[in-house]
Amino acid sequence: MEKLLLGIDALNFLEKEGFPVLKNALAKDENEAAGIAAGIGFPVALKVSSPDVIHKTETGGIVLALEDGGATWDAFKKITSAFLSDHPGKRLEGVIVQKMGSGLELIVGVLRNQQFGPVLMFGLGGIFVEAMKDVSFRCIPIDARDAKEMVEELQAYNVLKSTRKETIDLSVIGDFLLQISNLVERHRGIHEMDLNPVFISSKGISVCDVRIKIDQ
Amino acid sequence: MMNEKLKWLFSPGSVAVIGASDSFDKLGYHVMKSLVKGGYRGEIYPVNPKAEKLWGIRTYPSLKDIPGEVDLAVIVVPAPSVPGTLQECGEKMVKGVVLITAGYKEIEDSQGEALEREIKDIAKQYEIPIIGPNTFGFVNMTDGVNASFTYEFSLIKKGGVTLISQSGGFCHLCGFLAMEERMGMAKLMSLGNRVNVDFPEALRHFIEEDDATKVIALYIEGLDEPRGLLEMARSMGGKKPIIAYKAGKSEKGDSASRFHTGSLAGKYEIWKGALRQARILEVTSAEELIDTAKVLDVCAPIKGNHIAVLSGQAGPGMIAADALEDAGLKLAGFTTGTQEKINGLLPPVAIRTNPVDMGPAWYSPQTMLDILKVTLEDEGIDGVIFIAMFASANLEVTKTMEGLMKNIEPFKKPVVACFTAPAGIWDEDIKRMDGEKGVAIIHTPERAAKAMGNLWKMQLIMS
Repeated sequence: MEKLLLGIDALNFLEKEGFPVLKNALAKDENEAAGIAAGIGFPVALKVSSPDVIHKTETGGIVLALEDGGATWDAFKKITSAFLSDHPGKRLEGVIVQKMGSGLELIVGVLRNQQFGPVLMFGLGGIFVEAMKDVSFRCIPIDARDAKEMVEELQAYNVLKSTRKETIDLSVIGDFLLQISNLVERHRGIHEMDLNPVFISSKGISVCDVRIKIDQ
Repeated sequence: MMNEKLKWLFSPGSVAVIGASDSFDKLGYHVMKSLVKGGYRGEIYPVNPKAEKLWGIRTYPSLKDIPGEVDLAVIVVPAPSVPGTLQECGEKMVKGVVLITAGYKEIEDSQGEALEREIKDIAKQYEIPIIGPNTFGFVNMTDGVNASFTYEFSLIKKGGVTLISQSGGFCHLCGFLAMEERMGMAKLMSLGNRVNVDFPEALRHFIEEDDATKVIALYIEGLDEPRGLLEMARSMGGKKPIIAYKAGKSEKGDSASRFHTGSLAGKYEIWKGALRQARILEVTSAEELIDTAKVLDVCAPIKGNHIAVLSGQAGPGMIAADALEDAGLKLAGFTTGTQEKINGLLPPVAIRTNPVDMGPAWYSPQTMLDILKVTLEDEGIDGVIFIAMFASANLEVTKTMEGLMKNIEPFKKPVVACFTAPAGIWDEDIKRMDGEKGVAIIHTPERAAKAMGNLWKMQLIMS
């Protein structure tokens, strides 16, 4: 049996496993959303949470960079009503209010290949992965050297090395990849996983969104 | 047990050819030719119930009639009679088998697969390592054993490169290229259907048991369980350099996958990462495989990536300099001392900084080699690409270099040379020099730079 772990459930799972996740909580109505946002600190992002939607951007279910409670309140109303009218029949659990991520976007993925078994993927988000397919792979488990090489062999390695605004500690990415490799070793049921995006900045690394396919 | 037997298989004291023949249209003819003309020095026992003598050698009706021990049996009889033959090999306590016969798992008829299972069971019962089925065999250049159906492989120069291939055709491509490019080989083998000798077993054998093998080249098409090979390579911990050419790159990721990872993960992309993880250097053409294996075998290890280019003509030097950058190397600057020495050797009518245009030394091969020497003396230089295109005036450059080869070796730095001339002019000099005293001669400046770059990449992989 296959099961998808999405939205807040997937984020909570990772957080419980000790991963740095952007602060978030599920809001059921606009007042709750504004309250959570104030607690987390602005700017925030809103994302519809539905067990029936894998790619939220395709359903118009995301609003970014909300700067205050009023904007959060309005945005909640807008995306929930749009979701309900555009996707009749799809379940709506609520809206995730999440701290806005900042820095460079990374993608970290896991899949199980019939020949190779569990495989780890790493790349930079945005056009690097979408257009250039600039990603690196390793068989799980990896060691520290593998993790370092996964980062270094990207064509976009220079982008990571020399962001103009700030210095990124690349060993943080390596440690993160090792942590994912360990997670997959511990949880044999994890069949496929997209951590996309993961933000890296001088302040550290944090997961913004994740979807997990679980074999039960 | 299997490990011990593999040693006998590749260096047998005696070989039985089951299905030996003196008729050109039989594989048994060509195997006999390979052994006899290839200069095999052990006992040869042709087996054929219809002949008393083949190739001037006493022939036996069956394996059990052979009086002495048989270390290796090369089998070329038709597929249906192979199980019986293999049974006899077991009873005769043959140590290893090369099963050239095809018509097993690879054919459409399911009978083939059943036969292969039968073979596997007999091999297991008697613990006999089998190369094949569906292989051209193997050639051991080190000890002069050509257990294949292609005699000409015996003409390959002896050296340190061993090719383990998933394809017999690729062995032919590389074997013949090796002759053309003067690459020295230790062993050449095609695994065929890999009934019980697969990549991990062969890799382990040539790394652990075969001193003559200095460099391993793999040709991989596809494997059901690639982790066996990858983990074996990694566990060997950089004992010998391993390079691989992976074919079959077109298989894409799962475009129907709703996950990014799934849609991006083409099998070749995973292979690339997995090879690197296994400390294997990937090459992407037969030429690159040959060039890389050759420099890894004959050149001194490279200690850094700062390279000097010395060229008899400016153009080819510039091409090499460009290619260096792409290959992950750097064009080095000379120390003041080295530059002064070069300035003393060359008049200021051409570029004397790296890449050095040795054009003005046309009439003096000795000067070119003096420049090579002062460059090798420079501690900031990790390797040299030395280029000369033939011109009537520099006819003597290869001869002069040959005379001065002994001056190159003590520096223990890789020197990759590139000599190009019309056929017949420098060929013999090149043949004598190539692979000697740490010098590798490669066809073009670009390929020379790439090979030097791979020497450095391998250094990084193995460190």
